[in-house]
Order: sequence, then C-alpha cells, then structure tokens
Amino acid sequence: MTQKTKTLLERRYSMLGLLLIAPTVLVFCAVIVYPLVSAIYLSLFKIFTPTLEGTWVGLDNYRTLLAKGEFWTSLRTNLIWTVGTLTLQIIFGVGMALVLHQNIWFRSLARSLILFPYFISTVVAVLVWKWLFNDLYGILNHLMMSAGLIDWPLDYLGTMPNAMISVILVGAWKYFPFVVIAVLARLQTIPDHLYEAARIDGAGPIARFFDVTLPQLREVLVVIIMLRAIWDFKEFDLIFLLTGGGPVTSTQTLPLLVYKEAFALNQMGMASAYAVIMMLIMLVFMIIYIRRTRSEDS
Amino acid sequence: MADVVFSSVQKQFGSFMAVDNLNLDIQQGEFISLLGPSGCGKTTTLRMLAGLEFPTGGEIKIGDRVVNDVPPGERDIAMVFQSYALYPHMSVGQNISYPLKKRRVPKAERAAMMAKTAEMLQLTPLLDRKPKELSGGQQQRVALGRALVRDPKVFLLDEPLSNLDAKLRGHMRTELIELHQRLGRTMVYVTHDQLEAMTMSDRIAVMEGGKLQQFAPPKDVYREPANRFVASFIGTPGMNIVDGALRHEGGRWIFEAPGISVGTQNLGPETRPGNAAMGIRPEGLSFGEGPIEGIVQLVEQTGHENIVVVLVGTDMRLTGRTAADRVWRAGESVQLSIDSNQAHFFEDGPNGIRLNRPLSSPGNQEAAQ
Amino acid sequence: MLRKIAFNLFAWSIVLAVAFPLFWMLVTSVKPQFELFRRPPTMLPETFTLEHYWGLLTETKFLSYFWNSIILSTTTTVVVVAIATIGSYSLVRFRYRGRETLAFLVLFTYLLPSVVLILPLYLMLVNLGLSNTITSLVIAYTTFALPYALWLLRSFMAGIPEDLESAALVDGASRLGAFWDVILPQLLPGIISTALFTFILSWNEYLYALVLVNSDEARPLTTGVMNMLISSFNIEWSLLMAASVMMSVPLIIAFAFLQSYLTRGFGAGGVKG
Repeated sequence: MTQKTKTLLERRYSMLGLLLIAPTVLVFCAVIVYPLVSAIYLSLFKIFTPTLEGTWVGLDNYRTLLAKGEFWTSLRTNLIWTVGTLTLQIIFGVGMALVLHQNIWFRSLARSLILFPYFISTVVAVLVWKWLFNDLYGILNHLMMSAGLIDWPLDYLGTMPNAMISVILVGAWKYFPFVVIAVLARLQTIPDHLYEAARIDGAGPIARFFDVTLPQLREVLVVIIMLRAIWDFKEFDLIFLLTGGGPVTSTQTLPLLVYKEAFALNQMGMASAYAVIMMLIMLVFMIIYIRRTRSEDS
Repeated sequence: MADVVFSSVQKQFGSFMAVDNLNLDIQQGEFISLLGPSGCGKTTTLRMLAGLEFPTGGEIKIGDRVVNDVPPGERDIAMVFQSYALYPHMSVGQNISYPLKKRRVPKAERAAMMAKTAEMLQLTPLLDRKPKELSGGQQQRVALGRALVRDPKVFLLDEPLSNLDAKLRGHMRTELIELHQRLGRTMVYVTHDQLEAMTMSDRIAVMEGGKLQQFAPPKDVYREPANRFVASFIGTPGMNIVDGALRHEGGRWIFEAPGISVGTQNLGPETRPGNAAMGIRPEGLSFGEGPIEGIVQLVEQTGHENIVVVLVGTDMRLTGRTAADRVWRAGESVQLSIDSNQAHFFEDGPNGIRLNRPLSSPGNQEAAQ
Repeated sequence: MLRKIAFNLFAWSIVLAVAFPLFWMLVTSVKPQFELFRRPPTMLPETFTLEHYWGLLTETKFLSYFWNSIILSTTTTVVVVAIATIGSYSLVRFRYRGRETLAFLVLFTYLLPSVVLILPLYLMLVNLGLSNTITSLVIAYTTFALPYALWLLRSFMAGIPEDLESAALVDGASRLGAFWDVILPQLLPGIISTALFTFILSWNEYLYALVLVNSDEARPLTTGVMNMLISSFNIEWSLLMAASVMMSVPLIIAFAFLQSYLTRGFGAGGVKG
C-alpha cells in the first residue's frame, strides 16, 4: 500500500492490532525464529554434544555429509517410507471415506473407531503393534500361521524388507484416518443433483465415481497429499520407536539420522547440517503448499 | 442546517478508488438514499460515515463536529445492517438493550427504554427468544429496534430490506416512511433498488464508479437526469437511448440516427455539433401515425398496461407503453413518433452530461418536428 | 436388501480390522499374565483381572508421569490458546504492515520439522538452566502448538461475520469491548476445538520429551511409558497394554463427549489449510 494520510482512529486501531499480535511475535522470535537461525549457524561448527564446545569449520559439515553414503541412503529410505505410506494412506483413506459415506449401520460409531488410531499417541500405537508383531506370542503370527499363509513365525521388525513394510503399514494405519475425515467432509458437499444428472445420462456406479466423485475430490486430494507428504517426510516418533532405524540402518530416515548424529554420536554441528539440508528438501513441498493455500485465500 | 457533510471525501483500496471526491450535504431530518449498482461505492460511503472504514482523504462532519477521528460508538449514529448482524448468543431483549448497556444507561431506565421500543415494533412477546428462532421479518425488526432504542442523531441503513420477500419488503417500506415522519431524524439509506429510493427518499444520491452522479429529489432525478448513466439507471422499463449525432440548422438542433430525426430548441449553450445520444422514456413514444417505422418484437402485459418492444431498422430496439386494451401481435408493423419535449440529449460517452436546458428555464415549450 | 447386508458386513469387517489393535490392547490389559502366553491365544479373556491396572498405579511411576503430562498439556494448552486467540483476532480483523507476511510465517512454521528446531532449543534451554523441567517442555511444545492453534483459530475467526463486530462498534463498544462481548462468545466452539487439539498434540508428543527431560520428576507419559518397555528385563505386555489404555483415557473422554469439536477442528485447520 502506498503511504496515505491515516486518520488518528485508524492508527489507533493499527496500534491495538500490533499490541494483540505482540505476544505471538515475541514467542515466535524466541522459540522458532531464533532457533531456526541458530540451527543454520550451528551447522557451521563442529560441536561435541556433552560439553557443547565448538570450533568453526565453515561449510565442512556440508561437504562431509554430501560425500558420505549415509546421507544418500537415508534420503532414499526417507523417500521410500514417504511414498509407500502416503500411497497406502490415500488409497485406503479414500476407499474408507466412500464406504463411510454410504448409509451403513451405526455409522457414527464406525467413524469413531476409524478415527481413533489418528488421535492416540504414537507411543501407544507402537506398543500395541510391537505386541501384535511379537514373534512368539504375537497374535499376528498366530493368525497368519493358522490361515496357512506362513509356515514359520515372521520377524516383522528385525529383518529386511519386513521392517520397512511393517513401518509403512503401521504408518498407514495410524495416519489414514486423516484422509478419511478430510475426504468425507468433501464428499458431503458434493450436490446430489450431480449424481442424479449422471444417472439420467446412464452412468453406472463406476462411471459415476470416475466422472462425478473423483473430479470433485481432486482439489482436496491435492491438498491432503501435499500436507501428508510433508508430515510423513518429517515423521520421527513412529519409526524411531518401532525399529530405531534398524535393522542396522535399513529404516533410518533423515530425522532419525539427525537424532543419531546429535545424541548418539554427539556431533551437534553435523546434526544441524543434516537438519538444515532436510529442511531445504522439505521447503520445496512447503512452498508449493503455502502458495496454493494463499491463492485459495485471496 | 446541514446535519451530515462530506467534503472531498475519497477512499482508496490499494490502487482502486472506491469513493472519489465525494461532496454531499445532508440536511437535518432528511431521508437520503445512496443509490447505485453494486460496487459503486455507496456502502463504502455509508461505512465511512459510520466510522467502520477510514477515508483516505477529505472530511466528514456530523452536526458541526468533524468525525474522521471519532470512533463509531461516539458518533451518535445507529446502523441497521443488511445481514441484520444480530448477536446470536443474546436474546432479543439483550440485543435491543446492548447499545444502552454500552452507554452505561442505568439498569431500570434501560429496561423501560427497551420495553418501549419492543412495544413500538411489536416485539414484546419475542423478547426472550434467540435471533435464530425468529423469522426474517422479525429479525429485521429486532435490528431496527437496536437502532431505534437510543434515539441517535443519524440513522444509517445498509440495504435493510434486501433479504425480505417482496410482499414484506413493500410493507416495511411504508413502515420505514412512517417511522421517519414520526422521528424526524436524519436517515441515510443505501440501496440498489430504485423503487425503494424513489418512494422513500427526500433526495437521492446516485453513485457510479465511486463518483456522485447526481444528488436531487426523486422527481428531478427522473425528469432531469444529470447524465446518461443516471438516465439509463432510473426508471423501469429503462429509458431508450439512441446513439447518433447533433447538428445545428436554422437556429435549432437536429438529432439524427438511422431511421430517426428529432429537432429541438431547448439545448443549453454548451452544446456542440457531433456525436451525441438521445434518451426517451417509454411514455415519450407514441404509437399510431409517425415518422418512425418499426416492427413489434415483444409484448409484455403487466395488467394495467402493455410494454411493447419495437425493432427499428436492423438493430435498434425502442420500448414503449400503451394501454392494456390495445391488442398487439409480434411481427406487426407500427409507426412511432417521439415527443421531442420529453427527449433528453447527452454528450457522447457512457457518462455524457445532459445538454437540455433546465425545465424551469424559458423557451422549452416550443416543440419541433 | 441382500446387497445392503453384504455391503454392511463388508464395511464393518474393515472397520473392525482397523480397530482390532485397539481391541487387542484392551483385551491384553485385562488378561492374567499366564493367559497371555496361551497357544492359541484367547480372543476374550477367560479370567478377567484388573491386577495390571492396580500394579501400574501402585508399583510404577505411572501416576507421577500421568500427573506430569496433565500439568504439561494443560499449561501448554492454556498458554498457547490464550496467545493464539488474541493473535488470530489481530491477524484477521486488523490492518497493519507485515500482517500478510506474519500469516505466511505461521503457516510455514506449522509445517516445519521439529528436528530442525530441537538442537538449538536444546542448547538454549540448557543454557537457561531449564533442562529437566516441565517448563522446558512447555516452551518447546509452543513451537508446534502455537502455529497450529493460530492457524486453526484464524480460520474459525474468519468464519465470524464481520458485521457482528461492526454492529457492536456502532452500538458503542470499543474494539476490545466488541471482542469480549460479541467475538469471544462466537469463537467459543472454535476455541474448545483448538484447545482439544492442542491438548492432544501435547499429550502425545515424544521427541522433545525424549531429548529435553531425563529425570522422572519431569518426565511425561510418552517417554515414561516407553522407558518401562526398555528398562524392564522381562517385558510385561499386560502392564504395558494397561498403561496404553490409561494413557488413552483423555482421548476416550474427548471422543465420547466432544467429538463434534474434533471433527470441526479437522475442517478448519487440517484440510482447508
């Protein structure tokens, strides 16, 4: 806006507005902006975590990490995890939303049950799944064996590719309810007359899904996919608690790598470099998502 | 005495000029309408008067006080919103007495004033209800009650009737006129409905593109529109406007367009030959013998008259009115004549100013063919 | 009709499959230890017992963790919702330079990974001498809870008709008076919804708790219960399942009584963005 003569009243309102946002700004600067800047600053040092003593190394950390295989493997693992779990979440989530959109018995109870995994703590989810996965007494092995699917108990978390598959599945179980609720909310706003028109035009249920439902869901699906991609990419708790990145480093994604560098290998500076690189990768998604939201706003 | 004055008021949103150099003097006790199509700046004008928007230039006075820096609550105004803006969590009674409470009127007095207002608007049985339990008409009356309860200097009404159905709207119109007569307060009324503006106002401010086009009593706005925009905006069916050219010949002006030629002597001294437009209201056209040939295209029967659309030449359509008992057929050939006393002439362009001499001036009774 | 029944059975078998882990958690928590290792496993407990719950409350530090979590989540929620309520009012209803940039920053931080912030935060809190305190966790939780709450409340706030506030101003209220009299009552469902989400987020948080707190005095449930798994030589699954159930109690309460607020929050912040 160009500078114009503002009335006293307008200026007083602006002052009040600034006053009301001041606590937010202060807290933001203290706990988000300052740490963010110092994360970048820290990444230029070599720091030993227990003593927190550092020496300036410039961009050395970045040079080292880009040359190291571990970064690239972790990035690959991170992408496999993200794509895998996201795909399952979307497919299963949209499917479940379509089912729950129908008039089934005790619909609200069914919806609550579906929603529950999303809200429970990751710690609870992991404990429960570890118990289900238990090699000797776990119900999963028992059910699979009595169904004749496997002859011997499986080691779900200790071998590859089982560990990756298990992590992806548990991730899908925990986070698909988000997709269900979001899609369900959108489904409820599709006007009935669209379906009636399609029916009059002779479209069967499958054609109606592809010609009416899916185009209507497109917008919301793009938003969901971007949001979930960002959140899945940075997921720490679930993988850390289920496998700890193991066996060895087979399920070690970038957030786990940051944690390991900082608190197991005590390389705080190096860890910061990893974190900064990881943020740069995510920035691409974030900017796409934010741009989209802003254009929708205006 | 002027009660509300806008002097060179402007409002800019970014690079968009919402209200441009507005000058308006509203007398005490007057009922003023701000009329115009949506986006013309009328609501912004009202909101600036209320103190809800801030002018980027100029001065607004209420009484003899410049109010640019006065908060809305201290301007001694009351406002009725298009959406009614009733407080959903308060009962009808609480809604009506809220302005009193904010002005620290003692509780007993507050109750009495609220009861009186509710009585006047027949809201007494509804006082304990919540707004969402009321019909649209009732909500509207509560909104009015909230404005009336404290007898402000100026009432502001932002399209208050636009959410009501047609019948109720007509009824509320009369109620508002009565209310204005009884209270004798200044009222500023925003509307896009010319019927509301014409029937209720002492004067109408016609706005378009952020600019004031004309500010005059309804009769004058209709009979002497200041420019082509006002002419075409006021009146149903709208004024016929024909593009053509003016030339000077033998002491009088001749307006010519394909198939039409009208002569007149009562144009002002600023008239120049060249492109111009002529406007003629439907009642200024007479059917029967005449120099203009056309074909009936469409007939609308309203019951007490017929609205007839006639095609002249290839693409000019003129609308006229005739008595209801005259039978018309589409495709029928007709002859028309234009009463040049009722013709308006405008400079070229969408907002071209009217060239006719004022009605009161001499020499406008001479008719010419 | 038959198709309807078939569809219902199909739908419910999926729902039950999804809910099975939770059912199994509940069943395991009320089985006596010896029944746990029965082959084949019993689907419903043959002997019903609450001994694990009793053991959890009396023989472990569970109650102290639980209490820490309550204090931690409540404090975070109150602080964050209070700041975010007035902040979102300012962002939505006031005009000043930098307002748009700030809204953008909020969204940006809402998506920021916590591993980026955790290292400097760790250093900062250690320097302030706050490590191993609940306060340090409240500060850390603000980093994700505040952007989240702001974003949710901003969209709730935008849903309140501006005319209501204008009407209150004309009726004689100041800006803050209008906020108190008119906006706050209208925002209340949104505030409840936001508070609920913030509480759940804080209740479930793990990473910050893992890094910042290393003493039982301040340890919340997530890391506390996880410690019970890691530190015990012989994993007592029944006890852990009982702990899991207890840990989910606030959620079950929220689900039972406040579900409409949960779905509302979803609409406002989760998806529309």
